[in-house]
Amino acid sequence: MSVLEVRDLRRSFGGIEAVAGVSFALEEAEILGVIGPNGSGKSTVFNLLTGVVAPSSGDIRLRGKSIAGRKPYRIARAGIGRTFQIPALFTNMTVQGNLYAAIVEGDWKHAPERAAQVLELMNLTPVRDELASSLSGGQQRLLEFGRVLMRDPDVILLDEVAAGVHPTLRATILGAVSELQSQGKSFVVIEHDMELVRAICQRVLVMDAGQVVAEGSFEQIASDKGVVEAYLGVPVE
Amino acid sequence: MSLLIQTILNGLLVGGLFVTLSIGFSLSFGVLDVVDFAVGEWVMLGAFAGVASTTWLRIDPIAFLPVVFVFFAVVGWLVAPLIYRVRNSRNARPALMALAFTFGLATLARGGMLTAVGFDPRTVKIGVVQGTVTLGAVEIPTLRLAGFAFAAVATGLFMLFLYRTRTGLAVRAVAQNKEIAGLMGVDVKRTSNFVYSLYAGLTSMAGVLIGGIYSITAQDGPTYTLMAFFVVVLAGLGSVGGVLVAGLVLGVLESLVTVYVSADFTLAIVFGILFLVLVISPRGILRRGTA
Repeated sequence: MSVLEVRDLRRSFGGIEAVAGVSFALEEAEILGVIGPNGSGKSTVFNLLTGVVAPSSGDIRLRGKSIAGRKPYRIARAGIGRTFQIPALFTNMTVQGNLYAAIVEGDWKHAPERAAQVLELMNLTPVRDELASSLSGGQQRLLEFGRVLMRDPDVILLDEVAAGVHPTLRATILGAVSELQSQGKSFVVIEHDMELVRAICQRVLVMDAGQVVAEGSFEQIASDKGVVEAYLGVPVE
Repeated sequence: MSLLIQTILNGLLVGGLFVTLSIGFSLSFGVLDVVDFAVGEWVMLGAFAGVASTTWLRIDPIAFLPVVFVFFAVVGWLVAPLIYRVRNSRNARPALMALAFTFGLATLARGGMLTAVGFDPRTVKIGVVQGTVTLGAVEIPTLRLAGFAFAAVATGLFMLFLYRTRTGLAVRAVAQNKEIAGLMGVDVKRTSNFVYSLYAGLTSMAGVLIGGIYSITAQDGPTYTLMAFFVVVLAGLGSVGGVLVAGLVLGVLESLVTVYVSADFTLAIVFGILFLVLVISPRGILRRGTA
């Protein structure tokens, strides 16, 4: 059984169909890339998967159980975690406070050990007592990713997690993704950085105008004429 | 000189109670995203609960404080889902509708109490703390001292809860970013209800002591709503730490104006000063609030 199954997912905003019948499955320990031009519906899919926005129709199944339209806190507790395109941290809390806040409704008893592990994995131990707002952009991305890991979710959604990040921090992020994958975690990764997609994703979905227009390995989608058209916005001869 | 010291001291002591009545108000604003116009009504209702404890139940209001807390926390728990529902509705302008809703709650509480007890002023007769304590040339009414002690303990416990407990962390997370707190597994609605309930209980308890220090009428709610507004805006919207300073500042200002100018000008002068502070620092005195 797939970890996550999305069937004919749709969402309209005032007559505009932002997500128009998206279907895909995510397997255990798989990293699935989602690419597409701006406005193609990638982030809306993340919002639907996490309950921030309710779907107009369609189904989302996490380990066989439908979670479509559930409240975000129920979906988080069920085992989906996400990061945002622009890191959304509790800026008035310390780095450690942000990590603890992620687990107030989880395994609180083991929060200190878990936080220490995450700080180590993300190379954030030296700044654990700093305010989140004082971190660099790259460190903020690491912290947001680390905060997701506090709840030990089965499925992790990363929205441009390495965008604008220093190469050293980027290596830390990719190292963490690789380690977590080896532990059986599954990822859906929205990314514009094709090198990163090529490096980590086993499979790639290409979205355009709210639909999946291509699916396959990076090499397959890179040679797909429809994909190039979607990105360039003009027909390719 | 001793009059000045006496006045400042009196102000600081009452300021402690202003902190208590404003701290929950500030937090409920942060969590529910609604300015609760009924804050003064919680004070008024608490004061009348104190009056009822002596006249009907023959229990000293200080001993009655836990009952007041529990009773109004339950009332707050029942009211909070309604405010949450209005604030988070998909109808147009939910923020404005929620403001109108709390204004309606305040009007309902005030109207109900005016019908029940009329316009006559009452005082909460607190028997266990009477007389004065003399410190050199300064005389401190024991009741004000007790009020300050209550405020210090209540506020201290509240801050401990907020900064040293698991639920307190969830509350601070919701106050900072509801969407992200939800994505971390926090039930935002349940947390909001809890905060409003705590705030209603705490503010009503402060009302009992305020009703002992000043007299209270059923139409006094708006005065205390303005006081709470003053404290929370001076503190910086959403800054719980700033409330500690701003509440004491309000107490001293009110005391100085009453003694050296006239009680009739208290609100005018206090809000004039607030206006000036906000022109200089829109994020409050500690510059930590939401501009």
